[in-house]
Amino acid sequence: MGSLATIRGLHKAYVMGDETVHALDGVDLNFDRGEYIAILGPSGSGKSTLMHILGFMDTPTKGSILFEGEEVSNLSPDRRAWYRSNRVGFVFQSFNLLPRLSVLENVALPLLYREDYTEDAREEAAKIALERVGMSHRLTHRPTQLSGGERQRVAIARAIVARPAIVFADEPTGNLDVKNVDRILDLLGSLLAEGITVVLVTHDLSVAAKAKRVISMRAGKVQEDRLQ
Amino acid sequence: MKLLIRIRAAVINGLRELQANKVRSLLSMSGIILGVASLVAMVTVVQGMVGNFRQFVDAMGGIEKITVDKQSLPKEQEHLAELSEGLTMRDVEQIKATIPIVRYVSPEARVGYEKIVWEGREVNTMINGVTPDWLPVAKRWVNPSEGRFISDLDILHKTDVCVLGSSIVAELFPPNVDPLGKVIRVKGKRFIIIGLLNNIEAQGMEIRSASGKGRGSGGMWRWRNSGVYIPISTAMSKFNGNDRLSGLGLQVATGDDLNYAVEQVERTLLQTHNGLRDFTLTTNEQTLEDFRKTEVAFKLSLGGVAGISLFVGGIGIMNVMLASINERIREIGVRKAVGARGSDLFLQFLSEAAVISVLGGLIGLVVSMGIVSIMNYVLMQAVPTGVVSKFDWIIMLQGLSFSVVVGLIAGVYPAIRAASLDPIEALRHE
Repeated sequence: MGSLATIRGLHKAYVMGDETVHALDGVDLNFDRGEYIAILGPSGSGKSTLMHILGFMDTPTKGSILFEGEEVSNLSPDRRAWYRSNRVGFVFQSFNLLPRLSVLENVALPLLYREDYTEDAREEAAKIALERVGMSHRLTHRPTQLSGGERQRVAIARAIVARPAIVFADEPTGNLDVKNVDRILDLLGSLLAEGITVVLVTHDLSVAAKAKRVISMRAGKVQEDRLQ
Repeated sequence: MKLLIRIRAAVINGLRELQANKVRSLLSMSGIILGVASLVAMVTVVQGMVGNFRQFVDAMGGIEKITVDKQSLPKEQEHLAELSEGLTMRDVEQIKATIPIVRYVSPEARVGYEKIVWEGREVNTMINGVTPDWLPVAKRWVNPSEGRFISDLDILHKTDVCVLGSSIVAELFPPNVDPLGKVIRVKGKRFIIIGLLNNIEAQGMEIRSASGKGRGSGGMWRWRNSGVYIPISTAMSKFNGNDRLSGLGLQVATGDDLNYAVEQVERTLLQTHNGLRDFTLTTNEQTLEDFRKTEVAFKLSLGGVAGISLFVGGIGIMNVMLASINERIREIGVRKAVGARGSDLFLQFLSEAAVISVLGGLIGLVVSMGIVSIMNYVLMQAVPTGVVSKFDWIIMLQGLSFSVVVGLIAGVYPAIRAASLDPIEALRHE
């Protein structure tokens, strides 16, 4: 499959009051292309911080990240924005769709910040992504007119519209009823076939059970890294 | 080009935001609306007044004119009255001969307010004896198709010719009659009409006249369009019976020479009048100076008021933008998470502020039209012959660009706030 990202000696420290919190305390990991990974851990374990740094939303205090062969641990904000719009997709627990935009516009939103997409190309790509998640019958609806499961499918379409290398799903089923949990997890799992690396970030064992590899975190360190 | 595309997208987005929050947007616009409306309305009205006054001064002969009038002697000179014969043609010759910076000398011998008659129709107007210099000093002319003015030959031969003001023509002759060559009678004497004076119309504003339209209409300019002008020599010999002048109009080459010319004329006249001060000199300078001060005062005070309301308008926009950013922190986080740069969000929020201010400015222009119309209407009721301010697209354009500048300045700080939000914090915001 080939390596997508390799991280070595990753540290992240925050100063909170007079205390320094080590959210990540020496993490070494390797992610291959097309892997289905769950990062498991209680809150405060550092799993969200790891996701933010790997998702180019944050920078580490120390350590190196080789992403697609390039050192990316110390990029400028604009360069990180480029990676977010070109190589990374996010799915959030609370969907985070913009209420004033239609389903189609929400999905096309990431392409709005890419200069290589015309208006027509954006719409075309968004339609393809919505078809992929089975939501092409709701293009002009507003997010508030959709059920939770439908909203999350739209959010997944938004995450994959720019053809990313990796999709992070942060508690993607936390706001869903039982019936929709499996459908969303299956949908995420099906992205692997397109060579996308899917990372579930969760504290829920039953969600993590869907992934092929589970990385357990505790106190900023990798406690266990196993295939299942 | 790419920036243009980004700006276009940001403006479209701004319009959508506006549409989604109609009431809030209108409220945030209200300051700009009132600011632009008051600015444009005030400048328009002041401009109308200024234009009005400029023309008034010009109609008085402009800044280069010196008027010499008769004046009764001061007390201490009363017993010397017989030493001076008053203003005469001798003064004219003397001024012409000794003061070269005086370009034109226009003596007037007023016959009086008389009845003039043509084929049973009659009009009362002022009969003036003048020379060819009257035209340039009064800043008037005779259109080539409407005959000629009084010439030096008319003066020399004391001819019985006359030139009519346009309002006299309108009142004395039916519209289909060409007055040129017709003979009118003044105090039983016959005069041939050789020319018609140009009709004075105020420019830059409309003239509302109670007396109707056509030749010779004209509100406050009406008196300037009346009158019958005959050769000064004819007036003296046929009517007045003496060579006394009722007044003198002088024109200096340039307004810069005015004070020097006033001194010179005064000295010359004192000489020819044997030291008697039976004349008075007036210029338009003082009037103009007063007017300039009024203009500056108006502009400063009204501009200040309008400036303050625009400033308040800017604060209103900033306030609403900050509130709107607070409400949309999550949206900002989402946009950043999917790849928006800080500059994208800066542009987005600056565009929203700009859209608000442009729309507010446009509405303000419409409101200003209403204000000026109402002011014109009120003015018309009070002074039916008054002048009316006209809209000037340059003023409107200035008002609009002013509002855009205010909006952009007011939008910068909120836009920077939005651009610099941390995406992780923003996404966590409830």
